[in-house]
Amino acid sequence: MTYSLLVACGLVYMELSMRVVTAPICAYGQAGCHAPSLADLFERVIQQSSRMHGISSDLHSELEQYFFPRKNVLGKHKCHTYGILTPDDKENAQRLGREQLTDVILSLLAAWSDPLSQLHRSMSQDQNQNFNDHSYSKALEISDMVHELREGVAIMAEKMKLLGVLGNTMGYISPESLVPSSAFTFYKQGELNSVDHHDLLYCFRRDSNKVKNYLQILKCTILPGLDC
Amino acid sequence: MMKKAVELVLLLLLLFFTPHIMGKRYSPPGKPTLTRCRSPEKETFTCWWEPGSDGGLPTTHALYYRKESSERVYECPDYHTAGENSCFFNKNDTSIWVNYNITVVATNTLGSAFSDPVDVDVVYIVKPNPPEKQTVTIMEDKGWPFLRVSWEPPQKADTRSGWITLIYELRVKLEEENEWEMHLAGHQKTFNIFSLRSGGKYLVEVRCKPDHGFWSEWSSTSYIKVPDYFHREKSVWILLTIFSAFIFLILTWLLHMNSRSLKNCILPPVPGPKIKGFDNQLLKNGKSDEIFSALMVSNFPPTTSSNYEDLLVEYLEVYVPVEQELMQEESKDLHGGCLKCERSTSDSDSGRGSCDSHTLLMDKCGETKEEGRHTDRASSRMLTEAQRHQKGWEKDTLTYAHGDMVSPDMSNGRVKTWPSVFSPLPQYSSNPLDKQSSLEMAKQHCLSTSSCLTQPGHSTKEALGPSNWDFCLGNKQPHLLHPQTQVGRQLQAHSEVNISNIGRKQAPAGLQSPALRSTEYVEVQRVNEEDLVLLQPVVSGCGRIEGYPQMPKGKDYSKVKGVDSDNMLLLQREVMEEDWCPGVDQEINGGTGNCYTSSTVNTTQKPTACIHTAMPVQGDMALAMNGYVDTATMCTLPTC
Repeated sequence: MTYSLLVACGLVYMELSMRVVTAPICAYGQAGCHAPSLADLFERVIQQSSRMHGISSDLHSELEQYFFPRKNVLGKHKCHTYGILTPDDKENAQRLGREQLTDVILSLLAAWSDPLSQLHRSMSQDQNQNFNDHSYSKALEISDMVHELREGVAIMAEKMKLLGVLGNTMGYISPESLVPSSAFTFYKQGELNSVDHHDLLYCFRRDSNKVKNYLQILKCTILPGLDC
Repeated sequence: MMKKAVELVLLLLLLFFTPHIMGKRYSPPGKPTLTRCRSPEKETFTCWWEPGSDGGLPTTHALYYRKESSERVYECPDYHTAGENSCFFNKNDTSIWVNYNITVVATNTLGSAFSDPVDVDVVYIVKPNPPEKQTVTIMEDKGWPFLRVSWEPPQKADTRSGWITLIYELRVKLEEENEWEMHLAGHQKTFNIFSLRSGGKYLVEVRCKPDHGFWSEWSSTSYIKVPDYFHREKSVWILLTIFSAFIFLILTWLLHMNSRSLKNCILPPVPGPKIKGFDNQLLKNGKSDEIFSALMVSNFPPTTSSNYEDLLVEYLEVYVPVEQELMQEESKDLHGGCLKCERSTSDSDSGRGSCDSHTLLMDKCGETKEEGRHTDRASSRMLTEAQRHQKGWEKDTLTYAHGDMVSPDMSNGRVKTWPSVFSPLPQYSSNPLDKQSSLEMAKQHCLSTSSCLTQPGHSTKEALGPSNWDFCLGNKQPHLLHPQTQVGRQLQAHSEVNISNIGRKQAPAGLQSPALRSTEYVEVQRVNEEDLVLLQPVVSGCGRIEGYPQMPKGKDYSKVKGVDSDNMLLLQREVMEEDWCPGVDQEINGGTGNCYTSSTVNTTQKPTACIHTAMPVQGDMALAMNGYVDTATMCTLPTC
């Protein structure tokens, strides 16, 4: 009995002494949360976007091998995010400025939240059974990642504004004004077929690359250092 | 005519050959193919094609491209920068994240051929140049060398603005090896290589790749030679081995030198019994006699004594009052019993015997002596052969103790088994036998044995003298009353005594002292606690020795002052009673002959001599004394 009491006391002591400090991360530095540095935020965001782009590339290549390679990608179609003006070379990107670049990133991410979930839903309902289980999970994963990344970039933008790195001149342009609200309406009326899936993934693959690249530019502009 | 034939032949020949000459077919060019398009920095790109057959005609190639979501067709702006059959797109013409649809057209006079269109997105065709400014150096980490490789990204790739992010990889191999060892360096621009072979020559190469793109070519090889460090490492080990061996040898030597003391420390020898005078060798030799002879103290047991003669006690003249005679007769009845060493009634007068003043008394008091002579005679008779040692005194005391009763026993008795008398007594202290006072032994005798002498009445009468054998034996005091009896009984027990009733008054056979010429008897009253022998001089007429159990009411007491260096007992007269018998010379120094006066009476016997205190103080001291002094008491009894 005494032995169990001793053990209990020891455990309680250990519990109290070895408490791991855990605190939610917040960009605003409220009380009780552990605010990461801007460099940490950038690193996380860039990693996330890189991963997202990788998964989308894999998914796209999977789809492409199942289908006859289409020589004429998209044909006459465009990606539904064509309305968002994005710099297409380095000079243009550098000329754009931080705030606008951040806006572009956020717009892109916002534009893809719904279409990706729709894609996932559509893929799981596909009758052709052209997709394996990995494809479904990847589709789901990228749809989640888009949401997370969007939130992360938003937090980072706020932090940058707090730090004074980012001016307040940027006006957040609602993506809805630039982007068709729904992929359904844009890509096809009604359900998305596999061709649509392919096109959608093609567009997303490119846009995720843009996001990643813009973030890297932003990082090296705001925090020049080791990795730049 | 002839001319016509020749012309005809020539014409035919011409006609014949011309078609051959004219046989090359011209065809439109073959279909070219775009082999690859590459961008080194994601800002420009180049496309190469492979032309098809040219159809025999000069063929020109043209590259046309169309940008995504635009129908406008552009032609390649630069055919020459990148070499032949290439098209170089400069920065102005390059757009990222735009799908280029490129086609190459080969044209000749007969026609043209179109290649298959290729969709190119510049982002995915990036293949950077190899890293530049590669350096390899040897560095040391705690004595161990390692290679540090460092490089720079290719100059064209703009990593500083973040436009391109590169990851690096390097490979290493020894010169004589065939296979490279690959290391992925990630985004860093330096790398360390450990575990080098001493004296080896290494080759190092680096390459890079954008996040999603193609690996660059390997950089130019760097050669590096690792210095020899093997010897130093080996020498350290050799030194260490030698040193430890040296230490080990020293330790072994020390251990060997101190093996004995270590053995004693760890395994201490068990102490064994040591018997003084015991010779192990003799034991081993098996001669037990010699062994035990070695153990034997010279004077103990008193079987063979050179000083036998010296220790013989002369006959004593014992003054036995009339009452005593009566008692003696009574005691005769009890003689047998006493002989049997039965337990006798306590005798308040116990402590008689030689302890008894009567026995000690060599009478100047003639009548006492006269009376005592009988006993003396008897006792002397008895004691002639008595072997007197230091214990002789005890014998005397014993005999005297039995004087009343047992004296007959003792008178003839040869106490032969003296040792046995004394040996079983357990009360013997550890004092060496030499030193042990006979008195002590007597005491112990007295103590150990119950009084045989039952002379109750006698005791009260003090006829035998005060049995004030107050041995200071401590707790044995009560027994002191009957030392004599005890002793006597023991004597009875052990001695083969022809006991004849020699009368009451008997004194134990005089212990002959070697130089005993005592003239006076001194009665030893007692020994008190201060190691003083209280003596009572025997004065004729003063022989009023009263038996007393306790305090001697004797007339005179002689106090032993001390023993001087000549083993002489110095007595001190002490006036105690009115009955101080004058003339008692307490000086005992070899005494003159009062003793002898009485001794002469007993011709047959040894002259009664002053009872020689059989116990020399040291060695066989023969106290010549005027009176009897129990040397036993003289000896500082340890218990006193």
